[in-house]
Amino acid sequence: MNLLYKTYYYSSYQCDQGRCFYVDFGHKRVKLSFCQLLALRQKVHNIDISSHFDKDLNYSGIEILTLCNREHLFVFDTLQIIDLKQLLKATFGILELNSLVVP
Amino acid sequence: MKDIVRQKIGINVDVMDLLNEQIAKEAHSAAAYLAMASWCDHNGLVYSADFFYKQSNEEREHMLKIFKFINENGGTAYSPEVSNINHEFNSLQEIFETALDQEIQISKSIHNIVTKCRKVMDYGTENFLQWFIQEQMEEENQFRRILEMFDLMGTDGLALKLIDERIKHGE
Repeated sequence: MNLLYKTYYYSSYQCDQGRCFYVDFGHKRVKLSFCQLLALRQKVHNIDISSHFDKDLNYSGIEILTLCNREHLFVFDTLQIIDLKQLLKATFGILELNSLVVP
Repeated sequence: MKDIVRQKIGINVDVMDLLNEQIAKEAHSAAAYLAMASWCDHNGLVYSADFFYKQSNEEREHMLKIFKFINENGGTAYSPEVSNINHEFNSLQEIFETALDQEIQISKSIHNIVTKCRKVMDYGTENFLQWFIQEQMEEENQFRRILEMFDLMGTDGLALKLIDERIKHGE
């Protein structure tokens, strides 16, 4: 498996043999198809981080995300969401770079 | 490392994001035209109402065209949420001006995606969007011609009725 990117909490991998991706959430490693990785990216992208600093918009400062058609459920705090946003942005950046170098 | 992304998706991921934004814009346009059709219906402008019902359908077809393109090429299209639809207008002329502005915004948005396609060398999507560029030019021109009728004929009762009837004949 190839490490794509690693942040403080999480890391992402590509598995050439399985033609899939993995995200290591620390306590759990989740296998994702490309389509599921895209869905995770979209969900994380849609989270408005500024709402975490407004008591009226997000009182608890947490986000609940389901992955892979509700096979997994995660609860993230503000710092973890910031970290996850960074992970996905960088992961897709690395994947794009890989597309450029693969002949 | 294998290029799994390229094996799975035929379009650039950033372009896919822009196409999803475009889907939301087309859906908003379709809903906005429905609101315009409703206003025309309530104000006795039945031919203009018909015109906007058709426009709304066209916008929805555009949305579906992009929606299917994304999914057929391995991406994920997202069904859009539509909000902030204006139902209040002062006149038929204002409606057509608003409609033209809306079409101009859609054209600019498509041009922006084409620019991105060229930047990331996504020639497949660029080719797909050529149809939209042509379509937008026709849409814009259609609204320009109708607005010219207001300039020529005025906006009072009888002129309004005549314009409404001209719209029936496909102006």
